[in-house]
Amino acid sequence: MHKHNFKFEWMQLQRDRWVVILMVIFLTLCFFAASNGKKKVNIRQSEIATSQSIVEEYDSNSKKIIDSLNAGLNPDVSPWTNPQRLSVVGNKGARVAAMPAARLAFVATGQSDLFTHAVKPTLTGDSYMLSFTEMSNPVQLLFGSFDLAFLCIYLLPLLVLGFSYNVLSSEKELGSLRLMLAQPVSMYNWLLNKLALRFMIMTAIVWVSILAAMLVNGVQLINEMGGIVQLLLLVAVYIMFWFVVALIVNAFGKSSGMNAVVIISVWVGLVLLLPAILSQTGSSIYPIPSRINMINEMRAAQAETTAKADTILQNFYRDHPELAQTTADENSYSYYLKFFTSQDVIKEEVSPVLDEYSSKLKAQQGFVSSLRFLSPSLMVQNAFNDLAGTSSQHYESYREQVVRYTEEWRNYFLPRMFRDEKMKASDFDSLPGFVYSYEEVKSQYGSDLLGLLLYTGLGLVCSVWVYRRYAKEVLFS
Amino acid sequence: MILNIARKEFKELIREGRFRVMSMAIAALLVIATVITFNYYQWVNAQHTAAKENARNVWVSQDQKNPHSAAHYGTYAFKPKYPMSLIDQGVDKYTGLSIYLEAHKRNEAQYMAAQDQTAASRFGDLTPDFILLYIIPLFIILIGFNAFTRERESGTLRLLKSQGVSSFKLALGKWLGIFLPVFMVTLLVALLSLVLLLGIRDFGELNLGAFALLFFFFLIYYAVYTNLTLWISSISKKSGVALVVLLAIWMVSCLGMPKVANRLAEAVHPYPTQNEFLASIHEDERSGLDGHDPFSMQAKKLEEETLKKYGVDSVQQLPFNWDGLLMQKGEEHSAEIFFKHYESLKQTNNAQTGVYRAASVLSPYLPARFLSMALCRTDYHAHWHFSDAAEKYRLQMMDALNMHFAEKASYGDWAWKADKSLWKEIPDFNYEPVTYASIIQANGNNIAALVLWLLVSAGLVFRGVKRMNVL
Repeated sequence: MHKHNFKFEWMQLQRDRWVVILMVIFLTLCFFAASNGKKKVNIRQSEIATSQSIVEEYDSNSKKIIDSLNAGLNPDVSPWTNPQRLSVVGNKGARVAAMPAARLAFVATGQSDLFTHAVKPTLTGDSYMLSFTEMSNPVQLLFGSFDLAFLCIYLLPLLVLGFSYNVLSSEKELGSLRLMLAQPVSMYNWLLNKLALRFMIMTAIVWVSILAAMLVNGVQLINEMGGIVQLLLLVAVYIMFWFVVALIVNAFGKSSGMNAVVIISVWVGLVLLLPAILSQTGSSIYPIPSRINMINEMRAAQAETTAKADTILQNFYRDHPELAQTTADENSYSYYLKFFTSQDVIKEEVSPVLDEYSSKLKAQQGFVSSLRFLSPSLMVQNAFNDLAGTSSQHYESYREQVVRYTEEWRNYFLPRMFRDEKMKASDFDSLPGFVYSYEEVKSQYGSDLLGLLLYTGLGLVCSVWVYRRYAKEVLFS
Repeated sequence: MILNIARKEFKELIREGRFRVMSMAIAALLVIATVITFNYYQWVNAQHTAAKENARNVWVSQDQKNPHSAAHYGTYAFKPKYPMSLIDQGVDKYTGLSIYLEAHKRNEAQYMAAQDQTAASRFGDLTPDFILLYIIPLFIILIGFNAFTRERESGTLRLLKSQGVSSFKLALGKWLGIFLPVFMVTLLVALLSLVLLLGIRDFGELNLGAFALLFFFFLIYYAVYTNLTLWISSISKKSGVALVVLLAIWMVSCLGMPKVANRLAEAVHPYPTQNEFLASIHEDERSGLDGHDPFSMQAKKLEEETLKKYGVDSVQQLPFNWDGLLMQKGEEHSAEIFFKHYESLKQTNNAQTGVYRAASVLSPYLPARFLSMALCRTDYHAHWHFSDAAEKYRLQMMDALNMHFAEKASYGDWAWKADKSLWKEIPDFNYEPVTYASIIQANGNNIAALVLWLLVSAGLVFRGVKRMNVL
């Protein structure tokens, strides 16, 4: 029976012109989406590379200058560019704190279009004021990018629904249902069987399309096996979820036309409206803490402490450390050492405001993020971003890692400045560098996949109930 | 006859469960969206007013200090929200809400709301524009896709045609049958938001003409969708096919084309990255005049000229503080550099806008979206306008501070402190938004595109209905 079913289905699908057209369109869109994603990743990587090369150039130039100074030559170098000065290297020689693209970054743009991926925290700069905002046309951000995540979340369901909205109703409308009913099979099992086969065929086609699109765009499938398997599994479960939705709609036993309208409404509801409703409800129940208030508090804290800091250091020179002069008998960095003290005074007052803000924001985001379990498409989006390393959490972690690194950078220079040391050419190779760690972000892929499976399971149970309640009456009348 | 057809269509719709459910759902969503957005609007506005006052207070109540220290301490300009942002939030959450005004630097607006939200919000927010621009067109499709196919399938099209009804009347009747319910839903939102906006104390900013114009454009947008729906229904053999084709049209228009246009715009006219932009400014600054670098070539030249002009041989002998003037000249020079780079960014942006305009040929959504954002003053141009005004204010502020230092302090006395009264002498930042006249002027293309869509789609309906086969 199964064999017959399968053969019959396969023949039917092959002869359906629409299905073939849809598949070709899907494949084409897959290529487009993957190339879009790849293009974004390339821009990101090349920007990081450019920033790195600027630093490398600075290093090699500085080494040369130091060598020629040591050799007693007189290179044209002013006190505020002299690479022997630790204060100069700490600012002008700042390393690139980069967040290179994860291997699967091209599958989902996620939040990556909002943030820059290469910042240079300096010795005297305020790490808490560092901007991570990427420059972009906000219209681009509003419309979003055409990536594989978009294609799967929005279009795949429609493809599934087009495949399956009339599985039962068409049999009824053609009159073949009566023949089927005469067979010694349970109608529900037959329906389930039919949809399961279509699910397998569809999944296979989608998998092949995605893999082909990756191959064409130069993705090393073998190297990225783990992530790709996770991705394909996610897509398969999502397809399954939508087949179950189709199963439920079919089980009501209504006409094909009715099914189509209902199914499109369900799609609008689940993919377009529910996520918007949830994110809006989330931020209504639990509003994002106000940035404006944060600025106000920060300014108030700054105003109070600036006076204190001024007693340590004359205020003008705090803004322009490069102009400060030191007398010959002092530590040549004495100005900077005072500067750091005065900076610490301000930081001590301001950072609680900022820390409080970010912990509030984290709590708020945690709440909104947990609402995703109410919407399958939100879970899929979250899982996609998780695999791609472009979720909000990844960028939050980036900021935290950079702030930590800035401390490390400062701690490299501070003790040396206390000892009034000079920068040596060999020191450049031992300067602390930054490596972004993706491991610090807890993966949410598992819980999203599980949530999706749960919905699929619930849907299946629901379909049995619907079938018993509605379809039997309609079918056997 | 036309009214009879329209009445019949309307009655049929009302009797059908699907219409009742959908229209109630849409009305409910719209009401919820409007109320939520209204609350948000009030919340933001209250904060904005407080923040503006606070920024001014902090500025005015500074202690005695060197004017240049005050310039570094700076102040904030906050972007106001306008009443009509209730209807369309536009790109507001992607542009940042305040600009830090300080010495030597033109800063980008900080704290874009999208960065504080989770990625979930990228699906879109439940705001009136989301319903008005995306969901109502779908609603039109769902109530109208079988306007003709249903008649054909049930054989009543033959009856209708045998009555001798002209295709013009038939089309118009069907059109009204679909458009009227949509018109009513739209009117409901318009009235609701008008009532809410008029209830706010400072509603003086609400321009009723612009408000009416906005909803007029929405209605044109819906008329386009009504036309497309009728056209496809008239040329399709089956309801199912009509629905699928219309859904595809909707997807291309509302979801596909905007994203494809994004890709094209970025490919043809790429925006610089933050790092590239800053690096190019830095490069110009390095080869230019730097207020803090007296060794710089141009400063040297300026010094010579000034000394010659005043007939003295050292800056100490000048009747004013040379450092103050030098800093001001440095500020002006860097302002020129910023101006140059922001102008070229604007040109890139204009070129990108051109791509979106071109893409309007395949998407009525695009001109409608740009028009609605523009009228609600939440589009990118409104942001540019604000950012330019803030920069202008920053330069005035720097000029006042530097020149005060030049006039009052003696040369070399960096420890000199200005009196507290100076902070008050610098006027507060008062921003006047872009005028509606210039908004309309700048959006002529979008209006033309929308009207063109209306005409072409109307032509298609008549063609489709005229050639309609009764079988």
